[in-house]
Amino acid sequence: MRARFRGIGALFLLIAAGPAAAHHSFVTQYDADAPVTLKGIVTKVEWMNPHARFYIDVEDEDGQVVNWNLELASPNVLSRNGWTRHALKEGDAVTVEGSRARSGANMANARSVTLADGKQVFAR
Amino acid sequence: MKHIDSFILLMLAGVASAVQAQDVPAAATAAAGSGGLENPAIAGDVPDAPAPRLPDGAPDLSGVWSGGGPIGDIGEGLLPGEEIVLLPEAQALMDSRLSADDPEANCLPTGVPRIAPYPWRIVQSPPYGKAEVLYFLFEGNIHSFRQIFMDGREHPEDPDPTWYGHSVGHWEGDTLVIDTVGFNELFWFDFLGHPHTSQLRTVERYTRLSYGTLENVTTVFDPGAYAKPFTIRHEARLRPGWDLMEYICNENNQDVEHLRGPPGL
Repeated sequence: MRARFRGIGALFLLIAAGPAAAHHSFVTQYDADAPVTLKGIVTKVEWMNPHARFYIDVEDEDGQVVNWNLELASPNVLSRNGWTRHALKEGDAVTVEGSRARSGANMANARSVTLADGKQVFAR
Repeated sequence: MKHIDSFILLMLAGVASAVQAQDVPAAATAAAGSGGLENPAIAGDVPDAPAPRLPDGAPDLSGVWSGGGPIGDIGEGLLPGEEIVLLPEAQALMDSRLSADDPEANCLPTGVPRIAPYPWRIVQSPPYGKAEVLYFLFEGNIHSFRQIFMDGREHPEDPDPTWYGHSVGHWEGDTLVIDTVGFNELFWFDFLGHPHTSQLRTVERYTRLSYGTLENVTTVFDPGAYAKPFTIRHEARLRPGWDLMEYICNENNQDVEHLRGPPGL
């Protein structure tokens, strides 16, 4: 019986979601009341645990370029949701919405990531 | 309630993105791509059938599961009428804790009964017939494992304190009962930092209620930290078709240095 359902399972895996919680408390690292929207160019993608991360160069109002560290779910959760390490790559222009780190660092939890053509990555 | 709202939002987001493939506002605390633990797309994958059995008639608990224990707040799993009453010293310890000190955030094991937000696999050995040992293989938090001795042995007289203790199990009807002692004092019960002492003893009662649901009713005995035992209940969900994946938590753990203040949800 288990084998019969495995094929269906594989289909569902493409849209299936993984655990939402991280290995640490969200609220003590990020401030959901401190939203941030960032437009920039991807400089690096780290497809590593416990969280996948990507970094973007953002030009501020004074023309200074600041590098931001953006946290995603873990690669395991992203993979189970059908994403791969190729979904985002160095040089991509992105708009990121997220919550800023409480530490004050140029770091945020990325809630949505949109490419220049409007396509969303990590949207499920 | 906030986290429950988050779950609902995540569920809605998951369904909507699956069906319409368009943007849906995600919960504020959800990282992009994190989906939701209770996404109906997964629940629909599990056969509506009774728990499978081994050739000798015993329930077959093997498979990949997720959940089944506390993550954020151990108090959320309390059975009706149960309460957590901390002794003053334990309360003081809990009040002194900082979020950054959570062993799990530092890529250390969860201990018992806490569970990591990653799947885990039950393996019975031998796979058919009477189990001599059960292995719980955890993807998170650090690829650790528990071994549950089913061969009738007793606990050691003076076990070295460890993260998962010394576990012996037996069947009571269709319920697997696991008795564990010999814990160290290093792990926390949840994100909130509920503590324990080395006097901790846990009795877990696992019942596969249906093909896709594994109930875990755990009683926590720790006269060193709590005024009385308390019992919590959780359900693990079968994840058909899932494999365990590599999860080396320490390879790029940048979180700890950014955690601020006391523990929180």
